[in-house]
Amino acid sequence: MLVAIALLTFEWVGSGVPHQIRAYANDVVAPVLRVLEQPIRAVQAGLERIAGVSDIYLENETLRDENDRLRQWREAAMQLSRENERLRGMLKVPGREVPPAATTRVIGVGGGAFERSVLIGAGSADDVKRGSPVVDETGVVGRVIQVGRWTSRVLLLTDINSRVPVRLERTGDLAIAEGQNESLLRLRFLPQGVQVKEGDRLLTSGHGGAFPPDLPVARVVDVVDDFVLLEPLGLLGKLDYVRVMAYEPVPEEATQPEAPGEGN
Amino acid sequence: MNAARRPAMASFGFAGFVPLIACFVMVILMMLPLGTGAANIAMPNLVLIGVFYWLSSRPILMPYGACAVLGFFLDLWLDVPMGLNMVLLLLTRLFVLNQLKHYKGRSRLVHWVIFAVLSFGLYLLSWLLISLVYGTMLPPEPLALQWVITAFSYAPVGFVLGRLRRVAM
Repeated sequence: MLVAIALLTFEWVGSGVPHQIRAYANDVVAPVLRVLEQPIRAVQAGLERIAGVSDIYLENETLRDENDRLRQWREAAMQLSRENERLRGMLKVPGREVPPAATTRVIGVGGGAFERSVLIGAGSADDVKRGSPVVDETGVVGRVIQVGRWTSRVLLLTDINSRVPVRLERTGDLAIAEGQNESLLRLRFLPQGVQVKEGDRLLTSGHGGAFPPDLPVARVVDVVDDFVLLEPLGLLGKLDYVRVMAYEPVPEEATQPEAPGEGN
Repeated sequence: MNAARRPAMASFGFAGFVPLIACFVMVILMMLPLGTGAANIAMPNLVLIGVFYWLSSRPILMPYGACAVLGFFLDLWLDVPMGLNMVLLLLTRLFVLNQLKHYKGRSRLVHWVIFAVLSFGLYLLSWLLISLVYGTMLPPEPLALQWVITAFSYAPVGFVLGRLRRVAM
């Protein structure tokens, strides 16, 4: 009991178990999780297949329509992309594409009731670094907080410690998307007088250097006076495959002004 | 002399380690992305259920050391403040050892009610401890939801552990 209280005290004063020990502990349990998740994924996929059989005709029709629309969009996007490349080349603007460091599966969850984090099956062996942004096919999921050799822990957007600098897509105004340990995020520090509407999308602003700009983050679902609630665009409720981006977060010292006398 | 130093679990052979192994499997199960992958609130605290069950049925096979080890790995792997689950599981053992005489041999329903009351107290304590560690009062709703799910899960999980007990011990 004394050991337990001592450990809790260390956590309280901020000198808990170093991240690296936790990260390597995750490496130890990862092979077991990988084996156990196989039958679970198979059962989940089977259930989804059974549930989907009755809707297959309707879904087929919807997909055909969507496919036609997407083809038109693809043509327009390719044309815009070519034009964008040409203009960037003319203006000597550097490219903004961030390559993926690793694409991997979610193999575990953690945090109990008070933390929203997941364990993914890629670590330093796959060039994953602490602070790397993590996305799925629809938007930002979170960022890496612990890196082991073969596993990493990702702090999700919904965690109470998560704060992402965002930009309102419609107006360009800056704010912060803050986790609340619930399924929805809260938009904070939005400038006074900005009209937010339900359905507005928020993208990463790139400020602070933790996330590259223009990644889809969330959509406004409720506006009550100054209280704006956001729904994450990433499928946090059913994460499977995620992509860790090879984006180098700006080191803290680089964002701080130089002390007098230290510069050249 | 050596026999006196051996843990009581060892004197039962493999069967003596079944409770610890079963609880260890539950630690792993709690880490799996079941159901709502990211929102682990929906996962009951299987280890708490397991430890209470084994303490109520075979307390000698779930000593303080086993509770501490289970709590340690749960804290480490679930990435919660170190010591939190250790405290909760050790308090569970302390509670059961003091109160078992009052409910031993009673119906499963009584065990269930006692577990619900005990786990309520433990979740309340964990809310206070985590709030203290994080330095802010966290919203109690997620923990209340997890308590309800854990309390309701006691019956089915206890049933499975009862089957295991009959088969392995």
